[in-house]
Amino acid sequence: MSKVMTMKDAVAAHVHDGDFVYIGGYICRTPFSAVHEIIRQRKSGLTITRGNAADDFDMMIGAGVVKRFISTFISLGLYGLARCYRRSLEKGVPHRIEVEEYTNLSLPMMLMAGAMGMPFVPVRDLLGTDLMNVRGFLGENKYRLIESPFDGKPVLLVPALNPDVGIIHVQQADENGNAQIWGIGGDCKYGANASKKVIVSCERIVSREVIGKDPSRTIVPDFKVVAVVEEPFASHPGYTPGFYDLDMGFGYLYKEASGTVEGFQAFLREWVYDIPDRTAYIQHFIDRFGYARFKGLQARFDYGYPVSYEY
Amino acid sequence: MSEHPNDYIKPELMACCGAREIRDGDVVVVGTGFPTMSANVAKYTHAPRAVMMQESGVYDARPRRPALSVGDACLNPGAAMIGGLVDIMGMFLQGGWIDVGFLSGSQVDRFGNINTTCIGPYDQPKSRLPGSGGANPIGSLAKRVLIIAQHDPRRLPARVDFMTTPGYIDGAGAREKWNLPAGTGPHTIITNKAVLRFDPETKEAYLASFHPGCTVDEIRSLTGWDLKVADDVHETEPPRADELRVMREILDPHRMIKIYEAKGYV
Repeated sequence: MSKVMTMKDAVAAHVHDGDFVYIGGYICRTPFSAVHEIIRQRKSGLTITRGNAADDFDMMIGAGVVKRFISTFISLGLYGLARCYRRSLEKGVPHRIEVEEYTNLSLPMMLMAGAMGMPFVPVRDLLGTDLMNVRGFLGENKYRLIESPFDGKPVLLVPALNPDVGIIHVQQADENGNAQIWGIGGDCKYGANASKKVIVSCERIVSREVIGKDPSRTIVPDFKVVAVVEEPFASHPGYTPGFYDLDMGFGYLYKEASGTVEGFQAFLREWVYDIPDRTAYIQHFIDRFGYARFKGLQARFDYGYPVSYEY
Repeated sequence: MSEHPNDYIKPELMACCGAREIRDGDVVVVGTGFPTMSANVAKYTHAPRAVMMQESGVYDARPRRPALSVGDACLNPGAAMIGGLVDIMGMFLQGGWIDVGFLSGSQVDRFGNINTTCIGPYDQPKSRLPGSGGANPIGSLAKRVLIIAQHDPRRLPARVDFMTTPGYIDGAGAREKWNLPAGTGPHTIITNKAVLRFDPETKEAYLASFHPGCTVDEIRSLTGWDLKVADDVHETEPPRADELRVMREILDPHRMIKIYEAKGYV
């Protein structure tokens, strides 16, 4: 049974106001198409999470769709601090989001625990720092400090996370949702598998037979997936290994635009609200910057050594 | 070319200071900029068997251009292994395999604690910063943490506004009390003026060497605590010709390291 649909339908059917949403990516394979659709459909009250957030999370915060953020870090990388995030926490614009802060060890481990059905997981970070002294909306449940039942030493327990929906972008998937990636993983494997259901966008849909030629690449099995969206260029201005490179110029454009509320709103109108879907986004990109620049982002091609699983 | 050419810039000297702290065979977690530069200078000079990884999931990358982030596209082709955060931060760092981690922050205090969370009160921040990311676990679990900082009293206060990442916390015995692994913690603070190391008894940072052109008095006045001075305090060795050659001819032919001058590392 095919789960292929448009991003508009996938987000309308599977992302609800107030949901807890995992959004994968590490500049690598950012599901930007889904992020734009969430903003376009003016979802509200979302709790969002992943390790090492970037411009996509900043954009959702600025657009007002976020209520809570389970965070480790957020910045625009080379372009510095995340402007919308700062405005939210420093000035309450458009509103002050609630933040619960962990690290790039503890949060991925919490997602791993969620994926594994573990209620909590011990971690060896956070200890002794102010990250233990600040508690957000999870309150007492941010962590528990106990004496290890094994050696009596202090050990920190952090809760498992099970988002309502996980959204990832991958290189290829079949129509049922078996999703394959290569390249930098961030926490997307555990984030997706911790989620109660998964929306997969992909650069290309391939047959089940192609998936079976290299099944070790599959990070999410089809039975967890509720929607498959074929969406080339969906990570832009992030990148997808083997397909297209990071768009540093667009990153600069976002940094400049997001520096003011007016600039940010104009950016949203131009690139999100007034754009119906990803195809129109690509067309707008080419109209605005020229085909040569679009083509310039395309990755070179280099075959891997073919693998055989035969016996 | 003399042994110590005098045309270097301060960020190049700082990168060399970092490189010299790396030993042959070390397993190093790197970020972008200084850490990558330092680790590679070490690898091309005295530490050919040092290996690097990025927290995003990459081990032994072979980028054809300088990586602009730890998630950069250029880190993918040619790497020896690619996984994710749980692999690098969990399996390797928490697993106890990381010898060296590089960190930087808006504030670094006398015990090597680092703030990357906020300036001013947490609930009403004057300036909200990115947060921990990988810094807290690296500071908690790497055997030798090398800290890069700008040398002024605001950035090197006696106590950070917010302790995102543990150094020696509140002094001797604190890491042990929190059950952080034995033999881990800050090793060196490398600034644009000096190299600071940590007193094995008090765990407080002291002045080990001053960079050429800087004086002990100047450095003490630019430090937010009463900076102790090593008995054998000396001038930092300037970049050697072989170190500069690696940076300028192999690692960074476009000299992107100059952006650190604009950021105040002068």
